[in-house]
Amino acid sequence: MKHTAPLRAAGETVVKVPTRRTLAKQQTRAKVLAAARRLFSEEGYEGATIRDIAAAAGMSTGAVFANFTDKSDLFREIMMTDMLALGDAMREAAARGKGVDDALLRMFGAGYAFYKSQLPLARAAFSVGWTPEEGPQLINSQPAQSLLDIIADELNAGVERGELSQEAEVKLRAQMLFEAYLSNYKQAIFEGWSLDALQARSRDQIRVLLAGARRG
Amino acid sequence: MGDARGMTPEDDTGAQGATGGREPVQPLLAEAGVRQSQKEATRNRVILAARELFDDQGYQGTTIREIARQAGVSVGSVFTTFASKGEILSQVMQDRLDRLYAELDVVVPHLRGSTADRLRSMFAIHFAFEAQRMRLFLAHIVAAYDFTQTAAATPFGRNSHLQEIIRECLVKGVAEGDVDPAVDHQEVVDLLMSAYAWTYRLAVWDGADADTMTAVMDRQIGLIAAGFTPR
Repeated sequence: MKHTAPLRAAGETVVKVPTRRTLAKQQTRAKVLAAARRLFSEEGYEGATIRDIAAAAGMSTGAVFANFTDKSDLFREIMMTDMLALGDAMREAAARGKGVDDALLRMFGAGYAFYKSQLPLARAAFSVGWTPEEGPQLINSQPAQSLLDIIADELNAGVERGELSQEAEVKLRAQMLFEAYLSNYKQAIFEGWSLDALQARSRDQIRVLLAGARRG
Repeated sequence: MGDARGMTPEDDTGAQGATGGREPVQPLLAEAGVRQSQKEATRNRVILAARELFDDQGYQGTTIREIARQAGVSVGSVFTTFASKGEILSQVMQDRLDRLYAELDVVVPHLRGSTADRLRSMFAIHFAFEAQRMRLFLAHIVAAYDFTQTAAATPFGRNSHLQEIIRECLVKGVAEGDVDPAVDHQEVVDLLMSAYAWTYRLAVWDGADADTMTAVMDRQIGLIAAGFTPR
């Protein structure tokens, strides 16, 4: 993966020239993304400028713009990468659950654990998520929607097993569970809640939100 | 501002004495009074101008300079009254919310029906009120997560008055028998607040109006109510 190898091969075939370029470009992107991640965490979304990000990555603003159209593009890329990894972690956690409540609890716990070490970035994401321009792009993105799908899948599985009634209003309930999960980040960010406290809160929320579906 | 109004002549002369005041006391007092009312007037004009601008062009899109121009005051005098743009936003919101809650305090005791229905009415009043100034309310929410926010700014979600009203509603529900006494009230409050926030986001995404938001919230309240109704 070192760029010296393709460099030697560069003169031999036309095919390998773009490979070297692509590799260099990938390295540039990775450097910019790492710097951006750090600055968004330290300064928030509004506080971090492309100029600062470029400086932190040790390159010109031009080089940043050659790879990303603007700041929102950079932020989106970071969020998409994280949400894909988060989705994997959540799905895996949910699969280990016994019953709907337990599956959801494990899933949310995996989410809190994922973001525990990068709460400032989560905070920046909430800020962006509420803006009229970036918010819908972020929340309607495929990786974000797939998090919602995991919840809906667990609810549907619960209906199939007979744990939940047929009229479980899966779509609305999944959305509400997701929002409840997200809302607890406020306690994590501003009040320093532990993972255990977040889990306990989630357990109660899941119980309340599923109560109506269990009765049916 | 509050302590300035309560300032006694003794305080004033004392302060002047400490700084080696050379002028007679009486004109100074009068001058302080004028300055105080000027400051108050500046403050009100800034808040009024900021409310219009935040609502028209959003919080991020509005500069202190524009607010000063619209208010007809200097940028410097904006900064002698407010430490930051975030603080102006907080004050704008506080003024509006004070009016909303004054209205709610009158209406809530007269609400009839089940606890769920009373909650529905209460949120419907909120949406109707907030829909008049949608961008302003959204700016308020975004600013809650803004890192540049100063400590004096009150972020969204710490809205204790709304939470207090919900809690009272639940207490009444327990007394009337349609809220399970074993249910943790704060938990229900938090769920309602998260449903409220999501419903609000619909306004960001789809430009939902107050009626749409109310309809969505009604369904969510029904679902949460299923969780607090005694078995």
